[in-house]
Amino acid sequence: MSTTAAGPATPPGPPAGSRLGRVAWHWRNNPKRELWFAWYTTVIFYNIFFIVFFPVTHAQPPPHPYWSDAQVAYWFNHNHDGLLIGLAIIFAIAGMTVAQNALIAYSMRRMSVSRAFGYSYIVMYSLSAVPGLLLLCVVLSVGAMRPGRDPAQVHWLYDFAFLSYIGTMGIFLLGSLIWMLAILLDKNRVLPKWFGYLNLCNALTEVVVAPAWIFHQGVLDWNGLISWWVNMVVFGVYTGAFIMLLRTMIQREDFGDGPLPDLRKDDRAKASALAGTPR
Amino acid sequence: MNARPKSRPLITWLILSAITLAYLALDRSVDNHGTYRASSVVTTIAILLALVKARYIFREFMQVRNAPALLRRLTDLWVLLIGAALLGSYFTGLAIH
Amino acid sequence: MTDIAQAGPQPGAAGRPPGESAERPARAVPGQPDMWVLVLFEALVFTAYLAVYLFHRSAHSELFLRSQADLSPWLGTLDTLLLLTSSLFMLRCVQASRAGAFRAAMSQAFITALLGTAFLASKITEWALLVHGGHGFTSNEFFTYYFFLTGIHLLHLLIGFITIGVIICQLRRRERRSQEIVETCATYWHTVDLLWVLIFSLLYVVR
Repeated sequence: MSTTAAGPATPPGPPAGSRLGRVAWHWRNNPKRELWFAWYTTVIFYNIFFIVFFPVTHAQPPPHPYWSDAQVAYWFNHNHDGLLIGLAIIFAIAGMTVAQNALIAYSMRRMSVSRAFGYSYIVMYSLSAVPGLLLLCVVLSVGAMRPGRDPAQVHWLYDFAFLSYIGTMGIFLLGSLIWMLAILLDKNRVLPKWFGYLNLCNALTEVVVAPAWIFHQGVLDWNGLISWWVNMVVFGVYTGAFIMLLRTMIQREDFGDGPLPDLRKDDRAKASALAGTPR
Repeated sequence: MNARPKSRPLITWLILSAITLAYLALDRSVDNHGTYRASSVVTTIAILLALVKARYIFREFMQVRNAPALLRRLTDLWVLLIGAALLGSYFTGLAIH
Repeated sequence: MTDIAQAGPQPGAAGRPPGESAERPARAVPGQPDMWVLVLFEALVFTAYLAVYLFHRSAHSELFLRSQADLSPWLGTLDTLLLLTSSLFMLRCVQASRAGAFRAAMSQAFITALLGTAFLASKITEWALLVHGGHGFTSNEFFTYYFFLTGIHLLHLLIGFITIGVIICQLRRRERRSQEIVETCATYWHTVDLLWVLIFSLLYVVR
């Protein structure tokens, strides 16, 4: 029995031939296809997210909290098309975040710890998408929709949008701690302990963001050098790490209950499976 | 330092404490009866002494002295990185402002 | 959490010759190598915060110097000595545990916690005095940095208490005690000390 599948017997391997043919074979036969689907969805989502939020809408890095009404109104008008088009894209693909949450919860399900960890994580992160992403998108869209709106009203929407996005980090903090605890208690070696500790670093950055509610300028405001820029580096490292680690986890997955096997054997099996050569 | 293993931690602690107390003398040398004055010399020495302490903590308290070469070099590199970042940002700030 | 996986001889193993030092004879990473990822990463993050502070300090030199004069160098020095001493006892705890002297190790762990608590009390007292004197988180730029840096450090200290708790739990066990976990937690505690050493020199000492 191959080490890549403990479930129903699968055909020996994808046929040698075009890449599309091999992908189609995997789609029909690979027992890990749902996991890979979730992983690729996550990667695609982050790429679209980055493109929309940074160059398209210019919502990130966030503009300044200390702007006047006129400056804020100008920002909305200047980014009018980018905001409406970009955020419409986000509304269309926001559901993709479900795949990431499911995959992370799956990692906890595979661990030797209680299922409560995975379930709590799913509930928390599902709810947190509302203030943590969707509210910003809705409010910025409202602000951009009617260019002739009173600047004071637009300023209100601006504060509401960015504070809700940046200030609601508490849920993400708890989520990181749940994942950290699960990883540190896990005996199945699903994810390395160092990533458990990195969750702690990520959780602490959520605390660092909290002063954004208090400061309108300086290094701790919502686009401050510490609250946003340093935090983004930490978040970027963290996100890159877990995307890589989830990929390795899927490669190692054996659908059992015990410790996940190391990558080497599975990697070789996968490589030979993709090439269509018998092991 | 070839001290007996048992007294090594204590000697480390004495050195670190002495440096900490030396800070008081360092500041006193430039302060003027409660009015603080800017001094690049004091700042540089303070940062360098902090790096010395950091390396002692790594080597002795965190037992990197007995760790494999990779960790020894990594922590030394970190001390250099921290020093470069702190001194760099301080002097860049001075130059610009 | 019950794996005892480490290079070199097992600690407290039967047959250890009497009078042998508690020093590890073979080269080994103290505790889990994974914890060092946290140590080095957090050191970089704090360095970033401190670099931002130093950079902005020179922009408002007069304000920072004036505000700094309201800090007590004695309290700051006391804080540093408390944490250095706590690290000393933490190291002693690890060495005792390695040599199999678990009762002694537990005492050392408790003393470490006590010194950490003294630091906590000192910090809160200092904050109270400053706030009472009219200096708060939003008073001026210096005090924003001061309360932010000491606050985030205090958070690390509180997590450190949890790690000491884990050490004590490990030392109390008769079976499946993990020296690796004890050393891993000790590594974290020393990081709290390390970070304070940097913060202290930059908030209290630099001019």
